[in-house]
Amino acid sequence: MVSDIDKIHDQLQPFFTPRGVAVIGASRKTGKVGFGVLKSLVEGGVFHREGLEGFRGDIHAINPKESEILGVRCRPSVLDVEGPVDLAVIAVPPKVVPKVMAECARKGVKAAIVLTAGFQEAGKDGSELQEKFLKIAREAGIRIIGPNCLGLFYPPNKLNASFGPTLPRAGAVAFFSQSGALVDSVIDWALKEEYGFSAIVSYGNKADVDVPDLLAWAARDPHTRAIALYLEGVRDGRYFLETARRVSPIKPIVAMKAGRSPKGVKAVSSHTGSLSGSYRIYQGVFRQAGVIAADNLTEMLAVSRALAEQPALEGNRIAIVTNGGGCGVMCADYCQEAGLELPDAPPEMISRLDRTGLMHPAWSRNNPFDLVGDAGPDRYRAVLEEILTSDAYDGVIVIQTLQAVTDNMGDARLVVELQQKYNRPVLAAFMGGMISQDGIRHLLENGIPNFFDVKMAAWTMKAMYEYGRLRRAGRARGRQ
Amino acid sequence: MNISAVIERCLKEGREFLLEYEAEEILAEYGLDVAPAILAESPEDGVAFASEAGWPVVLKIMSPQIIHKSDAGGVKVGISGEAELREAWDAIRKNAADYDSGAEIRGILVQKMIPTGREVIIGSSRDPQFGPVVMFGLGGIFVEVFKDVVFRAAPVSEDEAAGMIEEIRSAVLLKGFRGEEAANIPALARAISRISRLVADYPQISELDANPLRVDANKAWVVDARIILSAKEEE
Repeated sequence: MVSDIDKIHDQLQPFFTPRGVAVIGASRKTGKVGFGVLKSLVEGGVFHREGLEGFRGDIHAINPKESEILGVRCRPSVLDVEGPVDLAVIAVPPKVVPKVMAECARKGVKAAIVLTAGFQEAGKDGSELQEKFLKIAREAGIRIIGPNCLGLFYPPNKLNASFGPTLPRAGAVAFFSQSGALVDSVIDWALKEEYGFSAIVSYGNKADVDVPDLLAWAARDPHTRAIALYLEGVRDGRYFLETARRVSPIKPIVAMKAGRSPKGVKAVSSHTGSLSGSYRIYQGVFRQAGVIAADNLTEMLAVSRALAEQPALEGNRIAIVTNGGGCGVMCADYCQEAGLELPDAPPEMISRLDRTGLMHPAWSRNNPFDLVGDAGPDRYRAVLEEILTSDAYDGVIVIQTLQAVTDNMGDARLVVELQQKYNRPVLAAFMGGMISQDGIRHLLENGIPNFFDVKMAAWTMKAMYEYGRLRRAGRARGRQ
Repeated sequence: MNISAVIERCLKEGREFLLEYEAEEILAEYGLDVAPAILAESPEDGVAFASEAGWPVVLKIMSPQIIHKSDAGGVKVGISGEAELREAWDAIRKNAADYDSGAEIRGILVQKMIPTGREVIIGSSRDPQFGPVVMFGLGGIFVEVFKDVVFRAAPVSEDEAAGMIEEIRSAVLLKGFRGEEAANIPALARAISRISRLVADYPQISELDANPLRVDANKAWVVDARIILSAKEEE
């Protein structure tokens, strides 16, 4: 069955690494989608940010009335382009889409993103029009993303084939979203959070390419280490279950399902024209498929990032290291609520630490490891070295409260250094905002998720444990 | 027994509700432990059965026109002797006639009472996206008030079913709470798995309720069951 995943991956790959991209319906008018998407391809985004670059491959603009836009030569039809066009980004009015699709078929286009809205979600006429262009695409073997979508982003290839704000930073989370507007906001938020993506796809009406296809693609994408999924409904529940079940042991899937309440379901139905099954059934299916259910967006993004950037958590024995007693207690509460264990510190570990001369006389001598408020990087280092080399713990949560003597950047540097040296799961709760922002950024840039609220750190650790357990169970099944 | 034949016969008769004994025969065919019963045509049949299977027994009216047996006064529980059985038999016949004088009576189900064990529910329905799904929960307030139930797409293996049992919050009550005997969890997991297999194998079954099952230290006994068919076959 693995071959299915390979086959789907290969079919979808032209969306991400195309030889030649054509924007069909390119426009000179700045407010138009056809302008935004061309600018995004050429410059990397409509909104500029530091380090932003555009797509390096061939870009073609299709517009019969213009000769050049943004320095890209315009041609009347995709058929006039010399050289290959693997990917077409279509932003023409709905009625023109079938004609344009027929030209793509003749040109040998392999993949098309239909940004245009006004199809299935708009009623009977729209549905008929959708069927019409789909039939042409199917006969020609063209895979379709959309219609009614924002497009896709593939930072490893500097490909922004969307009308979203800008290309996100490169990272290891692939994010697939039924909502395009959500993608816009997540990209902006992620820039502030040093959060990177391997790919983002807004899949809209999922007339052809659906969530399971994207999961299969991500399973084989070398840049993706975890998958975040926002969905309102799936078209073929069984296909979703079977594919997700095969993909989840390869790469973790964290899903946030909307449309759980009667009102929510109604909004979803009118929104994307899809039926939304009972959330309890989705919860059960997620379990069956090894998909981690996220309660909200923060959780979906935090958990997928931790799974992408941190090594697998092999057990549920957690150490908490803190320079603030109360925050350690809170974190311990949440860890225990989450079913994590907080084993006592081994006596020989305590005596070795006492002999270092670095510890405060009043340090807790137990887990949570309360290092007391005057702890500097040396004390954090001594304790973290012990924990990260010990068999007593599977993962660590490092809490730092910002006190008068705290060396925020020094602490961040040593946490990064030791995590990289020992490659064991570490989450940080550097609790602060403005003054500690440099240290926090250093953690995030180096793949250590940071949380203001220790509850999120505990719940993320729990999700990492659940995934580790799932993957061990999968491996055990594989051996049978 | 040929399950397809039973289903087809019902649909031909224009019935989408299987009678309890038909539903229980199907469940027994799929390896579930169903409380021993006979479809009695006379009180003598019932007495003979109970004398052999053991008292007490339950009497339930079996009529295609009477879906809600209790509402029609068609159920008598805790019958522990011959005289009591005859009395209950007459009462049920009278109640049924009062409820619907035209009701066709196929007999009275005389079923051995299973007095011990935790009450649980195993159900199934068809979801527009996921097709047949199987549900599990503890009976009574746990399902009705706390909605403490868990779903899976059918079929599920016995291992997956054991995972479903672990997932409900009230699972602790199955493990011998306050000196009560622990329920046989593997037997319950087997029951969930087999029901899930049944609904996956027969797309004509649109809904199924095994409600309740009584799970004791030895077995998961089906003591009541309902199967609803769908005339049009779904994929």
